[in-house]
Amino acid sequence: MKKILVLTLAALMVVTLVACASGGSGSNKKVELRVLHYIDMSSAGAAEELDVVWKAFDEAHPNITVNREDEFNDPFHDSVDAYAAAGTLPDVMYCWPSGRSTTLHTQKLLKDLGPLAARDNLSNNYSSIVLDPSQQAGGYMGMLAQGITSTNTFIANKEVLSAVGLTPAKTYSELVAQVPVLKAAGYETILMPNKDTWVMQSCLFSLVAGRFMGEGWEQDILSGARDFNDPDFVAALNFIKTMYDDGVLEQSSLAIDYGDGPGLFSTNKAAYYIDGDWRVGAFITDASTGVALITPDRQTNFEISVFPDIDVPGVKFNRSNSDIVGTGWGINAKLEGDKLEAAWTLVKWLVGKEVQTFRLRTGGISNPSWKGIDFNSLPLEPMQKELANLSSKYDKSTIVIDGPFADVVYTPINDGLQAMGIGTQTAADVAKLTQEALDNWKKTQ
Amino acid sequence: MTINREKRISYAVLVTPAVLIYLLVVAFPTVFSVFLSFTNYNGGVIFGNSNIQLIGFDSYIWMFTEPVRSFYTALNNNLLIVAVSVFGQIPLGFILAYILSRKLITRGRGFFQTMIFLPNVISAIIIGVLFNAFIISPYSVFMEIKKLINPNAEFVLNTQPIIPVLFVILWMFTGFYMVIFLAHMQRIDPAIIEAAKVDGATEGRILTKIVLPVMTSEIVTCSILAISGSLKTFDLIYAMTAGGPAGQTRVLSLFMYEAAFRGAPNYPLANAISTVMVLISVILIIVTRQLGKIFSEKGD
Repeated sequence: MKKILVLTLAALMVVTLVACASGGSGSNKKVELRVLHYIDMSSAGAAEELDVVWKAFDEAHPNITVNREDEFNDPFHDSVDAYAAAGTLPDVMYCWPSGRSTTLHTQKLLKDLGPLAARDNLSNNYSSIVLDPSQQAGGYMGMLAQGITSTNTFIANKEVLSAVGLTPAKTYSELVAQVPVLKAAGYETILMPNKDTWVMQSCLFSLVAGRFMGEGWEQDILSGARDFNDPDFVAALNFIKTMYDDGVLEQSSLAIDYGDGPGLFSTNKAAYYIDGDWRVGAFITDASTGVALITPDRQTNFEISVFPDIDVPGVKFNRSNSDIVGTGWGINAKLEGDKLEAAWTLVKWLVGKEVQTFRLRTGGISNPSWKGIDFNSLPLEPMQKELANLSSKYDKSTIVIDGPFADVVYTPINDGLQAMGIGTQTAADVAKLTQEALDNWKKTQ
Repeated sequence: MTINREKRISYAVLVTPAVLIYLLVVAFPTVFSVFLSFTNYNGGVIFGNSNIQLIGFDSYIWMFTEPVRSFYTALNNNLLIVAVSVFGQIPLGFILAYILSRKLITRGRGFFQTMIFLPNVISAIIIGVLFNAFIISPYSVFMEIKKLINPNAEFVLNTQPIIPVLFVILWMFTGFYMVIFLAHMQRIDPAIIEAAKVDGATEGRILTKIVLPVMTSEIVTCSILAISGSLKTFDLIYAMTAGGPAGQTRVLSLFMYEAAFRGAPNYPLANAISTVMVLISVILIIVTRQLGKIFSEKGD
């Protein structure tokens, strides 16, 4: 026992001396970082990413050793939960501004990157929304986002429309007028995979609510200045009911799995498709297989925009979209000194211009947070170029409901949007239930 | 060493590992989950975390009083599944087993037995996906056939979406109980039934007076399996409907999963739901065992 103790002390002494010696050489000090990376290895560009993003960083920073753990989907979140519970979170980790990463933010397990961002003048290069602490669940800048997500894209299939002599609708009235024409030819008007419990509120209703309620409506609700029984909110809900009644949105959409949407739309089942901007990546060519759901030559027949102007009474503005800070990278709150600097260097690289440009090209992101990337210089497919041009098609951004509101509040909204389609709830019922859910949630805070 | 002492040591050596594993893997997590349901623990470090506080019955009160009544919808669906399992799968499995064991059909018994049991060897997820692809979804094979017959046919969503799920559950697990009943029925001495027939007993009397009393304990066992299985139903519903539309097919396990793993986690609520699930399961199993005792005493 005594022997082991002596040997351990001796080993510790040697380690301390080595550390002191290397510390004297300043920037040459070797730092090791544990990184938890979210990646779908079957996705387009995944293999290329390992070379372009990670190998390049290793070569440029020989003093930083990155030990990366790659995970995807639920196993990733399970790992984060397990590491958080054990108090062994990695040094750098991929994360969301809220949702499944909420615990990381609200428990302050992530470093506040605000001071570092201010020190390095990141506001010169990044969109203001990603530096805004109120956009993240903890109310501080727990992560640096690599993009901005627009949760509504309205894709018009001109192959279908021209087959029946139509052009993409610019207003809701035009859309309604197209329903019988499309139906007679055996096409659906809008295809939207609404079966899952988040899609309707995220990809359609957030935009609609914003147009009826106005900018900053969520702050009014949270502060109590307005509530969900507000006539404007009920009118927004009623508009969704109108969409069902007009046949623009079919009841069958409630039985379509989220994963089935792109496949069905690419086979010309409908004239229009509604989804988030991230979904365009599903249509383009997969670099690893060379296969695309919509081949580049067909992609010129698809026009990407936001939901048409809603020309019904009560709408405050049109040409708007629902935007939220995208995914990004955070740093373990415990990190200090050299290790923190190394982690910050890595995060800035992962969210920097080169990597964002790469991800833009491979479809990993659609709306980069780095300002001034020249889309035209990139070898993008037609649908990617259309998407890159999306921001020019709207002037106002309103919130995505599942951002500022807890799931116990947005779930009744999504359930209610579905229930109105089946006919089991009215707009007033949904508004009342949502307000009660909010009141109930507030009591627990 | 006396024989008794040797027996006690052997017993301890053989039983201790299993008991330890049970305590570690089943008992401790269950009790710990009950404890966590009374705290505000919502992720992060568990031990030594000064932010964790006891919140009493807050999660339970929230669960029972929240306006959307998700808990009651889920509970109602679970009870419907229990009802279909206990009053659907078990009687049907029993009747099918009786028909096969009494050789009331003369040809193709092996084929029928295999066909009825077959859904049990397929993963519930696969069955959910297949039912969606072939029958339930708007682009299913069934819908295609319907459109071939009537081009104007339109997809209509069932206003009671739990019904197709119940049908699949009935179809899927009946074969499992049939096989259990069949195995036990085949152990009944044929001479007893032959003697009853010689005495002029009808098929109905053979069933109610000979087979049913002998099978009481198997029926109780199957009921316990059905109840516990019904309360933990998750995979099939997740694959078929994901709890939708409008949360109408949500069950307790799915409600718990959503509370814990969808959106911002709510571990106290998820732990409270799981505690209630365990309680309901225990109550239903005690009731079933008591009923089984009453019936077996009557049978004696």
